[in-house]
Amino acid sequence: MDNKIAALQSEEIEKRAAELIIANKELVFQNKEKEKRAAELIVANEELVFQNQEKEKRAAELIIANKELAFQNEEKGKRAAELTVANKELAFQNEEKGKRAAELIVANNELAFQNEEKGKRATELTIANKELAFQNEEKGKRAAELTIANKELAFQNQEKEKRAIELIRANKELKKAEDDIRHLNEELEQKVIQRTSQLESANKELESFSYSVAHDLRTPLRAIHGYARILKVDYGNLLDNEGNRVINNVMDYSMKMGQLIDGLLTFSRLGRKELVKVNMPMRDIVTSLCNEIKSDSTTSHVEFVMNELLPAQGDSLTIKQVWANLISNAVKYSMQREKPVIEIGSKVNGNVIDYYIKDNGVGFDMSYAIKLFGVFERLHSDEEFEGAGVGLAIVHRIISKHGGRVWAEGKVNEGASFYFSLPQNI
Amino acid sequence: MTQEVEVLLIEDSASDAEMIIRALKKGNLANRVLHVKDGNEALIFLFGQGKYEGRQTKDVPKVILIDLKMPKVNGKECLMRIKADERTRKVPVVVFSSSKEDSDIDECYDLGANGYVVKPVSSDEFEKAVTGLGTYWLVTNEVR
Repeated sequence: MDNKIAALQSEEIEKRAAELIIANKELVFQNKEKEKRAAELIVANEELVFQNQEKEKRAAELIIANKELAFQNEEKGKRAAELTVANKELAFQNEEKGKRAAELIVANNELAFQNEEKGKRATELTIANKELAFQNEEKGKRAAELTIANKELAFQNQEKEKRAIELIRANKELKKAEDDIRHLNEELEQKVIQRTSQLESANKELESFSYSVAHDLRTPLRAIHGYARILKVDYGNLLDNEGNRVINNVMDYSMKMGQLIDGLLTFSRLGRKELVKVNMPMRDIVTSLCNEIKSDSTTSHVEFVMNELLPAQGDSLTIKQVWANLISNAVKYSMQREKPVIEIGSKVNGNVIDYYIKDNGVGFDMSYAIKLFGVFERLHSDEEFEGAGVGLAIVHRIISKHGGRVWAEGKVNEGASFYFSLPQNI
Repeated sequence: MTQEVEVLLIEDSASDAEMIIRALKKGNLANRVLHVKDGNEALIFLFGQGKYEGRQTKDVPKVILIDLKMPKVNGKECLMRIKADERTRKVPVVVFSSSKEDSDIDECYDLGANGYVVKPVSSDEFEKAVTGLGTYWLVTNEVR
């Protein structure tokens, strides 16, 4: 079996080998064919490359040819447009020639007219020339007049210059006068300053003089009073009535002198005192002073009539002193009446306020009114009314320092009125 | 402690001094009064100098009465020296003067015065003022 199979197999193998040889022969043939085809393809390709090259050359030539053609077309278009313009120009020129011909006709007409006009103008010119000749003559006359006027003007200018020089000189003199005045004023001012300071120092000297005199006078005065009192107290029983009366007088008069010195001191102090200005409650000031009088048994019968008392600006301490002096005066000179009445009030008078105090006392003689406000001036003797004679002088000094005014009215035995004014706004 | 001097009176006016001493005596207040005539003498007394050399300066008066207008060392100067010295600073000093001037009064208080009394012209008032002063400073007032 196996042999058979093997024989079969070898038979097969032989068949296969034979088929393979045929197949190989076929393959070789096919390869040869393929190579022929490949060689033919190379030739065909070369041909194709050559044809492509040629086509490109033709295309490039065609582009150039197209460009040329386009340029030639453009040129033709231009020429056609130029021709159209040239035709229009020709037509226009023909039209213009027609117009010129018409204008020439008009111009000729005009020329004829102008010639006519020239004739007229020539006649007018002749007239105008005559007029010109006349005017020239007039100008000559005016020129002569101007020459005269110029001479006059030159003269006047000369005069003006003279005046100007005179004015400059006058101004210089004026300036010098002004300088002199200024200089004099300065000198004057200097002198005023000098005098003022001299005056001030003289015043100060006077103040310190009166101050020390007043003080130095008090010491011996105290001694006189003191020793008289020792005499009276320790030795009074050794003296008779007359001796005691004399001693009493010594004491009284030394006291009186003390009052005079006090008055003088108060007066001199006022001159140095600075005023402190405030709003003063006048009514309160006066009311408290009147109450003091009413509470004193010796003067409680005095009747006060209080009218409106306007407030004012001032130094309340010194103004209180003014009221105190005026009220005590009014009381002093009216308290001997059965029914003493003192009226106090105020009223606005322009830009000042007038204050008044009226009494129904002994009054005074108006011819002495001016003496009322002097230092140590008295209208009554000490026997009649006691006093140092400084009360009203102090009133005067205080009101003057306030920029106000004091005055009085009176009649003997018919009472007195005292007034003082204070500026409403100091 | 009993002082050698209770009242130091500094007064240049003999009459004023006499009136003051008389008034103090009347009030039984003048047991030991020393009267000197100017500020200088007051100072040499207080500080144990000159004729008062060797005095116990710790022994100070109960009160000093001083006038303002005086020769040599005046009242204000003397007051200033008394108040400036540790030994005498605490001693009461009362100014007894003729002057009513505000400036004098202010100045004395500024210098340390313990009181200021104006001498009255009337001797009755004068006597009252002195005895009042003496009573207050020697009897009423407490000192150390």
